[in-house]
Amino acid sequence: MSLFGVLRKLPSFNAIHCHINFLGRIARQQPYSMYQPFVKEPTYSIEKLDQLIESGEAKKREFVPVKAARSDHNVSVFHDELTSKFINMVMEKGHKEVATKLVETAYMKIKQMQLAKYYKATTDAERAEIELNPIVIFHKALENCKPVLQLTPIKRGGATYQVPIPITENRARFLAMKWMILESREKERTVHFPERLAYELLEAFNNTGKVVKRKQDLHKQCETNRAYAHYRWG
Amino acid sequence: MSAMTPRFTVGVNKANGRRPCREPVPFQEILPLKLKDSVSGKGDRTSEVACLQDMAVMLACFKKHDFNQALCSKEIGAFQTCYTNFMIDHTKRKNMESTMAGTKSKLPYRTLNKILKKYPSA
Repeated sequence: MSLFGVLRKLPSFNAIHCHINFLGRIARQQPYSMYQPFVKEPTYSIEKLDQLIESGEAKKREFVPVKAARSDHNVSVFHDELTSKFINMVMEKGHKEVATKLVETAYMKIKQMQLAKYYKATTDAERAEIELNPIVIFHKALENCKPVLQLTPIKRGGATYQVPIPITENRARFLAMKWMILESREKERTVHFPERLAYELLEAFNNTGKVVKRKQDLHKQCETNRAYAHYRWG
Repeated sequence: MSAMTPRFTVGVNKANGRRPCREPVPFQEILPLKLKDSVSGKGDRTSEVACLQDMAVMLACFKKHDFNQALCSKEIGAFQTCYTNFMIDHTKRKNMESTMAGTKSKLPYRTLNKILKKYPSA
């Protein structure tokens, strides 16, 4: 499949703006993307592909051009999309290997800690309670950290009010991850990032800890400011 | 800004603060005498308040259960579905606005700007 129809011509900075306006596109929809807007994102998970084939969607997508595969895209059974998003957020200055190593180390620490509890447990019931899979712990911890609504500053009559508004799924997930990373970066010379992250994740899994507290503080502030939401803005 | 202040184009000697100026006052073209090729979108922005009722119910539930989310899952679910429905309607409305509206008397500013760019007056 030739790339020429799929890629835009390399634009200069001014040309991007003209190009966008000329085609009547809403500006800011990926203005620097090298792909034409009709090019779709690839589906790389085998599960999803099977689903598409079953439902008949695959027939419709047969001739739709698709973007090139990214190096993140992995068909392995061990691949977790949420984890790769998290690694991207941990990453600084493009050092992906460092970020991956940090998160993998954190998962290993979680596994070690949970295994220690597992071997210490005496009864079968206790053992069944303990969750050993760090991916599951990570998912549950993030779920417990996601806020349900957020505050936005609205200026009215010279004063800026913090008004509670609904939150999208993506934003909630982002906030949960961001808070987790910030808490894990708190200064303590001897305790490094992966270890702190492991502790924070385990605490969040049990619905305790600093990140969950931060989420609940946000909810409390939303509750106190709920009167502002009732103003008829506009 | 100093380019936009009116310059007194009458002779300097004729300018006097103690007596009123004589007609006719000379015309000063500060901005070009031409219509713009776009319509302002400033007054268009109505901040739509969405899902207030659901939010109030959810916050009341939070207060009652001391912010324990597990006990308020129904209210949270209702709030989230309300918001997703609102967003679906909102994007639908926005997409309809951006296309050429048929026989509406008051077109949205984006559509108008597109039409004006297509058919410039100059």
